[in-house]
Amino acid sequence: MPSEISRRAVIASAAIVPVAALTATAQKPPPSALSDAQLRLLAAFVDRLIPKDELGPGASESGVPEYINRSLGDFLASEKPAFTEGLEGTDALARRTQNAAFVDLSPERQDAVLTVMENGSAEGFPNARAFFNRARRLTLEGMFGDPYYGGNRNFAGWDLIKYPGPRLATTADDQKMGVEIKPYHHSAYGVGGENHGH
Amino acid sequence: MAINLKPVDVAVVGLGAAGGVAVLPLARAGLKVAGIEAGTWMDPAKDFKPDEIHNNVRGLVTTVPKAKKEIPTFRTSPTAQARQGATHPMMNAVGGTSIHYHAQSWRLKPWDFKTRSETIKRYGASLLPKGSTLEDWPVSYEELEPYYDTVEHEVGVSGKAGNIQGTLDPAGNVYEGPRQREYPMPPLRTCDFLDHMHKAAKSLGWKPFHAPSAINSQPYRGRAACAYHGYCDRGGCHVRAKNSTCFTTIPEAQKTKNLTVFDKAQVTRIVADASGKVTGVSYIRDGQEYFQPAKVVLVSSYTYENTRLLLLSKSKAYPNGLSNNHGQVGKHYFGHWDAQAGVGVTALFPMDVNTWYGAMLSQGVVVDEWADDTFDHSGLGFIGGASLCTYMEKHPIAAASMSTFGRVPAWGSKWKQFVHENAGRFTGTYLQTNSFPYENTYLDLDPEVKDPLGDPVCRVTSGPKENETRSSVYAQNKMEEWFRAAGAIEVVKGQPFGPALSTHTYGGTRMGDNPETNVVDRWGFSHEAPNLGMLGGSVFGTSGARNPTLTMQALAWRTADHLTKNWKSIAG
Repeated sequence: MPSEISRRAVIASAAIVPVAALTATAQKPPPSALSDAQLRLLAAFVDRLIPKDELGPGASESGVPEYINRSLGDFLASEKPAFTEGLEGTDALARRTQNAAFVDLSPERQDAVLTVMENGSAEGFPNARAFFNRARRLTLEGMFGDPYYGGNRNFAGWDLIKYPGPRLATTADDQKMGVEIKPYHHSAYGVGGENHGH
Repeated sequence: MAINLKPVDVAVVGLGAAGGVAVLPLARAGLKVAGIEAGTWMDPAKDFKPDEIHNNVRGLVTTVPKAKKEIPTFRTSPTAQARQGATHPMMNAVGGTSIHYHAQSWRLKPWDFKTRSETIKRYGASLLPKGSTLEDWPVSYEELEPYYDTVEHEVGVSGKAGNIQGTLDPAGNVYEGPRQREYPMPPLRTCDFLDHMHKAAKSLGWKPFHAPSAINSQPYRGRAACAYHGYCDRGGCHVRAKNSTCFTTIPEAQKTKNLTVFDKAQVTRIVADASGKVTGVSYIRDGQEYFQPAKVVLVSSYTYENTRLLLLSKSKAYPNGLSNNHGQVGKHYFGHWDAQAGVGVTALFPMDVNTWYGAMLSQGVVVDEWADDTFDHSGLGFIGGASLCTYMEKHPIAAASMSTFGRVPAWGSKWKQFVHENAGRFTGTYLQTNSFPYENTYLDLDPEVKDPLGDPVCRVTSGPKENETRSSVYAQNKMEEWFRAAGAIEVVKGQPFGPALSTHTYGGTRMGDNPETNVVDRWGFSHEAPNLGMLGGSVFGTSGARNPTLTMQALAWRTADHLTKNWKSIAG
């Protein structure tokens, strides 16, 4: 029976998953790659990309800075100097053009800073556009990736776009159009998605 | 000092999609085979996860990082400065990239094997792509058919026949060449969105069908059926339903006790004697150099590495690289014009299409009206076209990175509202354009960039081409027509810029009867070194408008079969 075989395989796989999750929760997060000030700036930055509003939490509440911080501490360690330089460039641009630190600006004025960066028209900040695009890309990874990596807290990202969650098997009913698929709030590494491994 | 190993009959360099298939007929014939693989085994329970960051963002479904340390350089013209690519499109493992490929398993069309002569016959030589080095293959579809059939059954392919010995069935692809029998398994499961697209294609008078794939639609030879979980792309199959050679032909060959797998073994040179025969291969494992003597060597290390290994293997008999005394190694290279080359089309629907789960291209519906020479090209100014495929499987980061179709900014509350509404309402598509070799498109060794062993990496020279640009745009317009018929409210077409580094690349050791323009003969053996065979896309002379893997595997089986039947004359 096809269903029987895949069901058994799925159960066998499922039996492995919590082990990885347990190992992961026992691990401590890597040492912070960014300073507290850099993290505050990053949180303000990503909250303009994905703001908290009536549709749900914003990027910082969803753990996006945590995702980026952890990534820069391990998998993206080689990118850390360029990223921190980008953060410093953002703050310097804010001080030059809006006369205040980025974190102290109103949301509208923060948007004005980010807009010139996105346009590539930020004077004295030649890498502004590349940094903006990279930060936006990492924000999407943190918001919509598996919570295992520190972002997408409480599955806020997946709920926002109505992604029903990773499962080990799906049925034809899970592929129907025009029906709400019940979200399955599970990390690929265990139920809660509150793990601190990577 | 190199350690000399016990001689074997055949050394196969690379146990991926092609080499992993060739070992089976060799081992069954009683030949002693050394399968020399840079990567190692992967464990489905441990290594394959429904995790987009692991699979797609970080590309961690791999083992030994050999390919990642020898990424080719790329330039669009012979006068441009080549730059090293960011990632290598392929990976190293027992089973190779067949572990996480999309598994569409096509036969090429009869036309693909004789594109040159058929084009001249139907339209005149003036329609041949300018500057191309196109030749007819030395093999016809009819000659390859029995090998396609064998591999479809040995590896396990799901699909619906459209032409069994001349009897057409519109449930399958009526434009395919005649096959001797039905596929061993029916196509993968259909679903709402695929049915919707199928109906729309029919409303245009087209003949849609479900894609053939090397994924089990039902249990097959002790392996499970597809679970449709939606992490097929760049992820290995956790239930072993994707028929990578690491689950199929390689273990089957090991059962004969005639195949020994040497894993984590990085081949650095193929060695030849003064008479021009190859004597074995040198490889490095854990820092130690070994020499594996072999009576015959088959090279199946992907297009870039096949050329690079030959060019690096210089000797008295081959001062310009192994089997390169005619200067053809690296020539007639070309990449496939597909999504990796900008030939994409994306559509937004007014309703939720729910394409989250599934099995990528393998759970797909295809239209073949606008590929190959299925339609009349008179007055169009190009040959070929593209297959159009709509598919299932969408990952959340990719979904949130969707085009905003010019409707909202790329961030902020309006964007948030947009992806909330539309992430479930858009889909991409996969177009594959018939692509051809050209004089100014080739592989050689990079003069500057080296791998950690100090050997130059492969350099790719491949620029824009008029024929393929025109045929790609023509096919994109047909795809838009299909999406509009299905009710799409926005359609965005990519700019076909042409292939860079890609999982679909061809040539470099092209197959042909003429040694002045080809590296290997009609059986896949070198015109110069009689006991050296080449396997994989590197022997192709045209791409077809579809995925290459099944054709690579049919050719690999055929080369191995030819070797077993002519052992004395080839092995000497």
